[in-house]
Amino acid sequence: MASQNMDPAAASSTAALKGSETGGSVPKGSVSKRLQQELMTLMMSGDKGISAFPESDNLFKWIGTIDGAPGTVYEGLRYKLSLEFPSGYPYNAPRVKFITPCFHPNVDENGFICLDILKDKWSALYDVRSILLSIQSLLGEPNNESPLNSAAAELWEDQEAFKVHLHATYKN
Amino acid sequence: MSNIKSVSVQQSLTAGWDLVTQALLSSDAPVALSEETVSEALALLCSQGLGPYVEGWLLETLQMRLTSTVAPEFWARLKQPQEGLQERERAKTLLEAFRNLLLQLEPFLGALERLGTWQDDGVGGLCGPGAHGLRERAFSVIRAILLFSPPPVLQERVLEFYSRTFSVHMNQAGELGDSEEAVSGSEGSDCPGCTAPPQLCWCLEALEQLQELSHILSRLQLLERVSSEAVTSILHWLIEQRMEQRCRGEYETSFLSDFQEWLEQVLSWLSQVFASEVGDTDNSAMSQEGASGEVGQPASAILQRWRCHMHQFFCHIYVNMRIEELFSIIRDFPESTPAIKDLKFCLERTNQRQQLLTSLKSAFETRLLHPGVHTSDIITVYISAIKALRELDPSMVILQVACEPIRKYLRTREDTVRQIVGSLTGDSEGCSDLATELSRADPVTLETQDSEEEGSDPEEWTPDPTDALTDNTGSKRRSSDIISLLVSIYGSKEIFIDEYRTVLADRLLHQLNYNTAREIRNVELLKLRFGESHMHYCEVMLKDVADSRRINTNIREEESRLSEEEQPPLALSVMILSSEFWPPLKEEKLELPEVVSKAMEAYTRRYEKLKAMRTLSWKPHLGSVTLDVELGDRTLTNITVSPIHAAIILHFQEKATWTLEELSGVVGVPQEMVRRKLALWQQQGVVREEAGGRYTVLETASARERGDRAVMLIDSDEEGDSNTTTQSEQREEKLQLFWAYIQAMLTNLETMTLERIHSMLRLFVATGPVVTEMDVSELQAFLQKKVRDHQLIVSSGVYRLPKTNH
Repeated sequence: MASQNMDPAAASSTAALKGSETGGSVPKGSVSKRLQQELMTLMMSGDKGISAFPESDNLFKWIGTIDGAPGTVYEGLRYKLSLEFPSGYPYNAPRVKFITPCFHPNVDENGFICLDILKDKWSALYDVRSILLSIQSLLGEPNNESPLNSAAAELWEDQEAFKVHLHATYKN
Repeated sequence: MSNIKSVSVQQSLTAGWDLVTQALLSSDAPVALSEETVSEALALLCSQGLGPYVEGWLLETLQMRLTSTVAPEFWARLKQPQEGLQERERAKTLLEAFRNLLLQLEPFLGALERLGTWQDDGVGGLCGPGAHGLRERAFSVIRAILLFSPPPVLQERVLEFYSRTFSVHMNQAGELGDSEEAVSGSEGSDCPGCTAPPQLCWCLEALEQLQELSHILSRLQLLERVSSEAVTSILHWLIEQRMEQRCRGEYETSFLSDFQEWLEQVLSWLSQVFASEVGDTDNSAMSQEGASGEVGQPASAILQRWRCHMHQFFCHIYVNMRIEELFSIIRDFPESTPAIKDLKFCLERTNQRQQLLTSLKSAFETRLLHPGVHTSDIITVYISAIKALRELDPSMVILQVACEPIRKYLRTREDTVRQIVGSLTGDSEGCSDLATELSRADPVTLETQDSEEEGSDPEEWTPDPTDALTDNTGSKRRSSDIISLLVSIYGSKEIFIDEYRTVLADRLLHQLNYNTAREIRNVELLKLRFGESHMHYCEVMLKDVADSRRINTNIREEESRLSEEEQPPLALSVMILSSEFWPPLKEEKLELPEVVSKAMEAYTRRYEKLKAMRTLSWKPHLGSVTLDVELGDRTLTNITVSPIHAAIILHFQEKATWTLEELSGVVGVPQEMVRRKLALWQQQGVVREEAGGRYTVLETASARERGDRAVMLIDSDEEGDSNTTTQSEQREEKLQLFWAYIQAMLTNLETMTLERIHSMLRLFVATGPVVTEMDVSELQAFLQKKVRDHQLIVSSGVYRLPKTNH
């Protein structure tokens, strides 16, 4: 897994240009191409409940939308997220956070998400679609072991109360 | 004393006046009165200051006489014999009237001459405008009074007379007046000149009359006034008539020189009409040396003027006629080249480009651009128009302006691209022009064309004609290259290359014999046109075919080395396509019989061995099968059918009777399709339909029912199967893709303007091999449609998705 997170281009160029300062730069064109391809895949996949699109003409900043999965307390709620892709993408994970405030054990008040695949478990094989799907399923199945929002984690046990609180605080 | 003196002065004055007036007016006065007495009398008059009045009196008398008697008498004579007169008599009356007119005015003219001479010579101290000036005045008085408001009868008579003399003249010049005279002349033995029976022929008389009339008219300086209108209309009519007879509908010969000759003959008639005026200046005793130049223009000048007139007439009439016929001329191009060249010559001399444009445009619209005309015909006419109009107008402005409606219209036809591509590659019947055009233009000529434009001499620059379209494209973009014009109908060559790819794919997939010589040639030619990179896909396709052949041979060889029982049951020839580069192929489901799929699997395995890391994904519905059908009493050999036909008949091997339902189940194709495909076998007499949708093999020929066949012929027709998805299907797919993007961007970015959506699409829609640019208006139309379908909401120019989509 780890080997896939190495950018072969970057690696070879650092090796070749040992000592030179331009070492770590990544050809931006290939990243754009990849992002464009991911966008295309996302468009063609037609998944219900997840969606994303570049915010402006900058291909490195996207806005994502996730609908709460049916059968969960989040059903009927729609959340906006921002996705920022580093120049080292896909070898480095994108920065993903909620824009819409989200009451959830693994999301803090600033919208930061605690999700392993966005941190240490990131792989270049993931893409925007898999990130969004992961977050969507995270909503219904939180990881209460390491909560960012302990109040939410405590309340999670009582789904009815959680739902009432969630809908009361939900602001779009 | 003084009284007596004044009386005597008065008496002598009266005597002097009488003497002078008598000398002026009486015809034989000059003989009776000696020069001296006249000059004495004049001197006397002048000394008393009466000199100028002589002139005034003379003109006054002339005017009085004209109004009171001469003019009325002239008109009376002209009109007097009203009806029942022969043309010949009418001509006579006309001449009589003028003769009389001259006779009446002659004394005055003589008197004017005399007075003028006296004035010029200063006889007795007389001064005045002189002979020339007097004549001018007198003639303007005559013209004014006589022709102030001439009744139409004069023009009628003159016209008739001139027409007659013209036909007589032309007849004598050896050129048959080819109008009604010729016709009536052929009926009897009538003289072709005057249409009278030979014994009554008055041709010569007419010519003499013409001469005399011309003489009288020029003597009275009425020639121009009386005759030019008649002559003009005669010429106009004659040219028109001649053109109508000779040129209409006749585009394959040039008429310019023919008409030139004819016009020269007409001119010689004109020279007779105006001859006496010419003679006048030369030998008239009355005309003064000094004034002669101004009295009558020299013959050559008048004729020259008429020559110009006639030329102008001719050009104008010719252009008029050709403009009417331009559509047919274009249709007949290049056979009609002479007509185009003539028209070009004449059009340069008349100001009728605008008329030509308007008329041609409307001709295109009414005769060409309607649903009843086949697209290939429109293209053929357009190609002819390009060729003909670039001949007609090297600046290409006419071409550009007049053909705009065609281009616009072609854009609305769905099969335009296919037709053009088809004829480019010489596939379609009809217009093979394009194929020749394609092979003709090698890159060398293309390049020189460009460089010519670049490096042309600035001195030779000519401004655009005023009717050029005022777009800022400039003259450079006005190309006359047929292929680039056709390709530019849609604004981009990609569509054409795409279509060509589809056509190429169809061809390759239909013939299946790996023979690509012609296609390679076409692709090479197109490469010269569109550049290597654009034709890359096509090259790969052709290479696929070559590779397939090689791989096939390879695998065959391998198979042949196998032992007898391992030999595959059927010989497969495979066309291996690189899916990336071929246009999308129609997806159809078809379950092949096990024998076949087994063979395919074996082939795939061998291929995988040959080409590591690659595999084959079969398109079972494409291709063809050659098979023999062995029946109880007969064998059909070497039938080539489509895979689905083969699959169906193969199933009859297991079981003699199938229902549609069963067949549809095993073949994996809808029942309707199976029924259609079965028609072929019914037609071949292999299978018969029985009651309840059951089909049974006819093992013996005698069981065949002849009656079946005719009926079956109808639905056995293979629908014009194309293996690739059509242009519009592809377009629909593309729109679907666009819609996915639009939905996504609106889901995430909430609201967007039309422009923003457009620019986002341009930025982010990944461009595959096939790109259709969508312009803003097209996008707007698309979005409007979505709004109508309630899939989109628009308010104050901002689009968003309806809330219910949540």
